[in-house]
Amino acid sequence: MGDLQTAALKLAETQSAPAWLDAVRRRGAERFAATPWPNRRTENWKYTSLAGLAKKELRLPEVQPVSVPEKDLIALDAYKLVFVNGVLDQAQSDSLPDAVATFASVNEQQIELVQSRLGALADSSQHLFAALSEAASTEGVVVHVTAGQKLDKPLYVVNYSSGEAAQLIATRVLVVLGVGAEAEIIEQFISSDAQQANLVAAQTEIFLADNASVQHYRLNLEQEGITHAGGVFVELGRDANFDGFAIAKGGELIRNDYVLEHCGPGAHVELQGVYMPRGQQVVDYHTNIKHRVAHCTSNEVFRGIIGDRAKAVFNGRIHIFEDAQKTLAELSNKNLLTSNRAEIDTKPELEIYADDVKCAHGATVAQLDDEALYYLQTRGVSKEQAKVMMSFGFINELIQTIKNEAVMNYLLPILAEQFGRENELLQLEAESFDEL
Amino acid sequence: MSEQVEHLIRKEYAAGFHTAIDTDTLPPGLNEEVVRFISAKKNEPEWLLEWRLQAFRAWQEMEEPEWAHVDYPKVDYQAISYFSSPKSMEDKPKSLDEVDPKLLETYEKLGIPLHEQEMLAGVAMDVVFDSVSVVTTFREKLEEAGVLFCSISEAVEKYPELVKQHLGSVVPQKDNYFAALNSAVFSDGSFVYIPKGVRCPMELSTYFRINEQNTGQFERTLIVAEEGAYVSYLEGCTAPMRDENQLHAAVVELVAKDNAEIKYSTVQNWYPGDENGKGGIYNFVTKRGVCHTRAKISWTQVETGSAVTWKYPSCVLRGDHSVGEFYSVALTNNYQQADTGTKMIHIGKNTRSTIISKGISAGKSQNCYRGLVRMNPGAEGARNYTQCDSLLIGDRCGAHTFPYIESKNPSAVIEHEATTSKVSDDQMFLCQQRGLDAEKAVSMIVNGFCREVFKELPMEFAVEAGKLLEVSLEGSVG
Amino acid sequence: MLSINNLCASVEDKDILKGLSLDIKPGEVHAIMGPNGAGKSTLGSVLAGREAFSVTDGSVAFADKDLLELDVEERAREGLFLAFQYPVEIPGVSNMEFLKASVDAVRKHQGKPELSSVEFMKLARETSKKVKLDQAFLKRGVNEGFSGGEKKRNEILQMMLLEPKLCILDETDSGLDIDALQTVADGVNAMRSAERSFIVVTHYQRLLDYIVPDFVHVLADGKIVKSGDKSLAKELEAKGYSWLEGEVA
Repeated sequence: MGDLQTAALKLAETQSAPAWLDAVRRRGAERFAATPWPNRRTENWKYTSLAGLAKKELRLPEVQPVSVPEKDLIALDAYKLVFVNGVLDQAQSDSLPDAVATFASVNEQQIELVQSRLGALADSSQHLFAALSEAASTEGVVVHVTAGQKLDKPLYVVNYSSGEAAQLIATRVLVVLGVGAEAEIIEQFISSDAQQANLVAAQTEIFLADNASVQHYRLNLEQEGITHAGGVFVELGRDANFDGFAIAKGGELIRNDYVLEHCGPGAHVELQGVYMPRGQQVVDYHTNIKHRVAHCTSNEVFRGIIGDRAKAVFNGRIHIFEDAQKTLAELSNKNLLTSNRAEIDTKPELEIYADDVKCAHGATVAQLDDEALYYLQTRGVSKEQAKVMMSFGFINELIQTIKNEAVMNYLLPILAEQFGRENELLQLEAESFDEL
Repeated sequence: MSEQVEHLIRKEYAAGFHTAIDTDTLPPGLNEEVVRFISAKKNEPEWLLEWRLQAFRAWQEMEEPEWAHVDYPKVDYQAISYFSSPKSMEDKPKSLDEVDPKLLETYEKLGIPLHEQEMLAGVAMDVVFDSVSVVTTFREKLEEAGVLFCSISEAVEKYPELVKQHLGSVVPQKDNYFAALNSAVFSDGSFVYIPKGVRCPMELSTYFRINEQNTGQFERTLIVAEEGAYVSYLEGCTAPMRDENQLHAAVVELVAKDNAEIKYSTVQNWYPGDENGKGGIYNFVTKRGVCHTRAKISWTQVETGSAVTWKYPSCVLRGDHSVGEFYSVALTNNYQQADTGTKMIHIGKNTRSTIISKGISAGKSQNCYRGLVRMNPGAEGARNYTQCDSLLIGDRCGAHTFPYIESKNPSAVIEHEATTSKVSDDQMFLCQQRGLDAEKAVSMIVNGFCREVFKELPMEFAVEAGKLLEVSLEGSVG
Repeated sequence: MLSINNLCASVEDKDILKGLSLDIKPGEVHAIMGPNGAGKSTLGSVLAGREAFSVTDGSVAFADKDLLELDVEERAREGLFLAFQYPVEIPGVSNMEFLKASVDAVRKHQGKPELSSVEFMKLARETSKKVKLDQAFLKRGVNEGFSGGEKKRNEILQMMLLEPKLCILDETDSGLDIDALQTVADGVNAMRSAERSFIVVTHYQRLLDYIVPDFVHVLADGKIVKSGDKSLAKELEAKGYSWLEGEVA
């Protein structure tokens, strides 16, 4: 067991948590202790070093009366929950509908739900940080939308990291949608400043019953100091639909595992993501779409721009089980390196045990299109500016597919800033175009 | 269709006979004494014995790799014999006339006549039977051109400096578990040296045959092409049908100096085991080439045999403007497992690599492409294109793709694409409607699927390869 | 305005232009016709400064400057505009952003004040009406998913916004139906003035019914082999190019 493992478990022991979480916490602690600390030979961590994390001196979260700056929040008509260092801040949060509760406000039925479902998808025997998140679990959100119902507004969960110490954050989100139910979940991760060095092991589990449908956003907009080791685990019933969007700017390490399982025929996964680490940031997405049954489809598109001395890792697996005939699955991963010291390691994988399927993946590491650069230049745009415009365009193509306009409008200026692009025109495009 | 396909893949492995011949075979087991015995048997100089012993000691410290997508019972390395030679080879026959007729018969039966006048014109052949080289043909003609082509044992005796300089220069002794084992106990193999500016006047070829029971074959091939030289080299292999698994752990090293070109083609047809997965060769092979400036190495492989294959012919593109190519057809049937692919390591500027991989899975087999494309920071303007296609025949097999793509240079361009498909009912229907039987239809579709790779093979081999696929697929359609 | 003297250019070591000379005065419209592979499109690319084309001999003066010394964008800012035969798609970069960046760059070079975003959008909207391009196209990615006709109208829209001194239309008529051709020609004709010159490269005489040239040149085997007035175009249509072969040799 690594030093960090020992230290984290000691910390967890001193936490106060609801008694009904005891069993989950114990299980997590045992499994976390039993999991060997990853090294370069651990296939899942081949390209991502945890050496920096191992050196962190973790502390328990401090309760801090900190307001999240207004500019950091998305202008959304939503049920907003604000966690500061993993602790719910009532003052900044909205009152919740019956379908949503936090671990502090759960009723008996919701407790049962958490006890029976938490960790059922985020398997703590398989995922090191899912185990840690169980072991240190104190807070979280549980969403239960019953059959045929729709959560009338998006649920917007803000995870704010602030303060000096490297605090261990282990918030959970558990979403259970009944037959034909619908919900929109927006998870946002931000940090107060570049020095903020929390370890955020936030795990999200989503159970979609037959015909249920969820729109999910995971926005990793933390700054340089953060280590994020989170995951999104989804089970899809018959004809269920998962529509996901992921973005990571980069931190000391932003690692997200997406595991999506088709468990009923006719289900569909749409997952799009962008990443753009710079400086010395590292972003790592591991996605695994498991087609367990026949007649399901999945479409996954990730794009990244890696600058300075940053590094990005993308591992996208499509796993077609024996019975999953008539599967359609596609994955595309495109990357741009913009510096001599940047690095990309990408591994699109197919593991196929059924013959009547259509699966394809593609991965590229490329430069900006010369032809397009030339075209821009013939219109008087300098090469440098043309590069900025095209880099932005490369990411913007996916941003434009975001269905929630408020989220899109929130992200565009962040991207514009990232690429040093003029913002004024963007706003015009977004707001006043229709008036003209 | 699947029931139809079921039937087609079942036919006798034609090369599965055993030649009853007196042999000089070491008892099973591996220790330093065995390594010393092999070295002494071959009259090797002290440095080579030392080199082997270093490898052996390293091997003892290493662990058998487990990352490949293959599953087989652990090999008992003490149950294998590490040296076997036909007794008649003791006296080192000087010419074909002195070779044991039984040996010659073996090759006749395999369809490989060794008398030069009967051979394919333009192909010189080195023939390896278990642990020793039986004969090398057309030597005089090659020597006229300055080309050295002989068994590696002979090269150690005759050209020790060349061997010493290059042996292990591409695949070091401790490169991996199987390479270390090979370095310790390698028995025979081929040595090719093409001097500066020489275009080898004929195709060179080695035919490997495992005959003896419970022996492993550990051949070692070294090809050096000096500046501006060119050579095309072919390799084929078979083994008798046996219920036990046999080990084949070879190492191939290629050195292509500035502006040189090496074309290396393999048709691998080791015994694949029976339809219940019993027996067959474990084919654990390390093949790698180094390209210097503007040099080119092209690997083409047709892999239809072996119970388990673990093989990644690779190119280290060290020199600027060098080129690496990998064309592969891997067919697995019954319970065969293959984990094969390539590594393209781009070090020099404007280096180029192309990877075309065609995997065909039938029966209950597992077929896996595993490849690495690495762009080092200095690989300015480097390019890679990779295309991996899988074809599934039947619904109980697996087809997998694990490409590792690493880039540290912003001007390098990498493109990777993979698809998977099956022999569709529509395709079958069309062929059958036009009067073809199911078997012919499948083999036609499969051949079409592999065309891009077959066109890279020398012509005689391409025809062979097509036929081989047809045979290997028999019983897969019914 | 533009003076081309003995221009020789090659691409991938293949000589395409082999001593082309042409003089264009302000206000003139020159049509360049010729058989396939004569080097018509190469001329536009070389004048615009495309990297793949290397000039091996000759000189080009444009508005008293040595054109060949300038970068691609500098040529554009000096007032040289190339309307592409196959306009490039740039997904993710909005047409509006692209147009503004372009107009800003050119205006800045000319010492004119930058247009505010609102001013610019008004201008873009008005201009897009002139070329009958729906405003929705301003919001989409550059040429992304545009039909052939829409792409060409987008080219003319850019030309109108940039107000260049010299416009090179590289087979702008290829693949256009009559209505689209009329729109494109109307745009070009509206821009004709005593200060602005045009090079109209085309394979078909049809375009010249709509944009009537002052001069017609025949380009064959990398050189201008015959020049005349607009009646030459009619003659070419009637006789084809083969009768000029003698002059090529």
